[in-house]
Amino acid sequence: MKKDSKSIRIGTFVILLVLFSFPFLARPHQISLLTEIIIFSLYAVSYNLLLGFGGLLSFGHGMFLGVGAFTTGAMLQRIPGLPFFGYVFLGTLMATLIGLGVGCLLLRHKGAYYALLTLAFNALFYAIAIKWHAVTGGDDGLPVKRPNLHLGFVQLPMSDVTVFYYVTLVVIGCAVLFCWYFTKTAMGKTVLLLRENEERMQFIGYNPGVSRMILFSLTAFFAGLAGSFYALFFKFVGVDAIGIDMTTTALLMTFIGGTKDFFGPVLGAGFYIYFQNYLSNITDRWPLFMGILFVLMVLFAPRGLSGLIRSLVELFRKTGNGKATRKEDDILGE
Amino acid sequence: MNVTTIFILHGLVYAGLLFLVSSGLTLVFGMMNVLNFAHASFYMLAAYFSYSLLTWTGNFWLSLAFCPFLLFVIGAVIERFLLRRVHVLGHVHELLLTFGIAFIISEVIKWVWGTAPLPMEIKGFLDGSVNLFGVIYPIYRLFVLFCSILIGLLMTVLLLKTRMGITVRSAVDDSEMVNALGVNTPRVFMFVFALGAALSGLAGVISGPLLSTNTGMATAILVDAFVVIVIGGFGSLIGAVVASLMIGQLQSFGALLFPKFSLALIYLLMAIVLIAKPSGLFGEKK
Repeated sequence: MKKDSKSIRIGTFVILLVLFSFPFLARPHQISLLTEIIIFSLYAVSYNLLLGFGGLLSFGHGMFLGVGAFTTGAMLQRIPGLPFFGYVFLGTLMATLIGLGVGCLLLRHKGAYYALLTLAFNALFYAIAIKWHAVTGGDDGLPVKRPNLHLGFVQLPMSDVTVFYYVTLVVIGCAVLFCWYFTKTAMGKTVLLLRENEERMQFIGYNPGVSRMILFSLTAFFAGLAGSFYALFFKFVGVDAIGIDMTTTALLMTFIGGTKDFFGPVLGAGFYIYFQNYLSNITDRWPLFMGILFVLMVLFAPRGLSGLIRSLVELFRKTGNGKATRKEDDILGE
Repeated sequence: MNVTTIFILHGLVYAGLLFLVSSGLTLVFGMMNVLNFAHASFYMLAAYFSYSLLTWTGNFWLSLAFCPFLLFVIGAVIERFLLRRVHVLGHVHELLLTFGIAFIISEVIKWVWGTAPLPMEIKGFLDGSVNLFGVIYPIYRLFVLFCSILIGLLMTVLLLKTRMGITVRSAVDDSEMVNALGVNTPRVFMFVFALGAALSGLAGVISGPLLSTNTGMATAILVDAFVVIVIGGFGSLIGAVVASLMIGQLQSFGALLFPKFSLALIYLLMAIVLIAKPSGLFGEKK
């Protein structure tokens, strides 16, 4: 037991060391790829709070990323001169408000009904993004200029790949850690128990609708934050950012990575972005491979990559100790 | 006056298509409790099959007969070999699977037929126009309307008057009990799933010359069919009819009166129904 927590601590230290020293070792292209992975990690982790943690299958996560991205992009054009985090804040705030509004309408539903309604709302926001040409730029999209970050008397040039990487790493990294912390809080446990036995929670006195709504807006908040950085990273927001395909991306990343572990979606985001980058050099039809992989995983490996890794580790350990630690690591029980 | 008549007819035609797609969706949902995200992909697949068959043979009636049959087989295979497998894993996995299948179908279509919209021309007597209620209206649109009404009537007879229909209706109500009474419900499920795919395929074939055949057509009609189900109520066929008619007219007149907000109107209606009667107009509260 003691040995295990030590190895986790060493592992965390190594990962942090790699993340922070990465720009010194890699080429700009790779740094930018890792920045993208970090941004999408938050997106996938926030999605998994709904899917793996809350047991709610949503098909509307793309709208939050899109709203965050479009708000940041549009504000940069309309109100120039705000500080860097002002734009990030506005994008995130907008996504959270939308999450609250949609959450209110969804609060009584779950299961297939929930999935269907979230998809319908996503389609609505997609249509708005296309039609509201004055703000979103319609099909042409919005060009985005990264504002510089002022820290007291130091000004950080955001156009620099390395600087943007570090800012993303710190901000998004903190957000991902907060998501992890959320799963340990009383609210997080409430959501988890609601998934397991809603009737019982109702008898104890919890209001499932309200808890679900809070969870929904919280994930909207984090997806909006990811969206804001998405706009700043690509220096462009198009209607792709808010479409059903963006929702599909979240679903694929999360499920391929594994919904049962907190860090599964991070793994999935890394895998997805890396292979997208790799496959798109070879073929235009790379989403087909992702889709086939996804269906195979639904059929044969419903715990995703992280589940496969766990089974492999089990195989190598093959001791009673291994089984006990597995139970403890598994935040989602079962 | 003339314009109003034309737009009412336009709305009816679209309602017909929507009914063909959403009726299968709602029946499958009522029975198997599976929301089939791939349902509209069957529609799109049939439209593309029909395009290829038309350019190859030039015979529309052939593709009208053959494509739904092909989709029936595809639907049966998907239900038997994929959907039934994940049933034990639970509800979320079934949704995920149908979503994955929809994704794959749309990618395969992009691969085989490309992403550009394909124009489809119809020849023969369907190509003309006819004078109806004082307006000149294309025969083909009336044909689409006629097809959907015919299928609707056939389905009503099948569901109300035959033993098969009684089994299906009772399975929609309580599939466990029907299974306990000695009916092979898995086979009924497969049949209804495949029939839904075939109906969706039929809608795809007849929609090809009407709307353009493109890679976005599945998402477009899927969202509308979902709205139909929400408004009409889950598992309710009569709800699907009424809601299809409402959405059809709303879309048609929305495009005429407020071209910018026609889509928002549909969502507004959905939001009102959700707030006033969350189970839908004809849905039962479970």
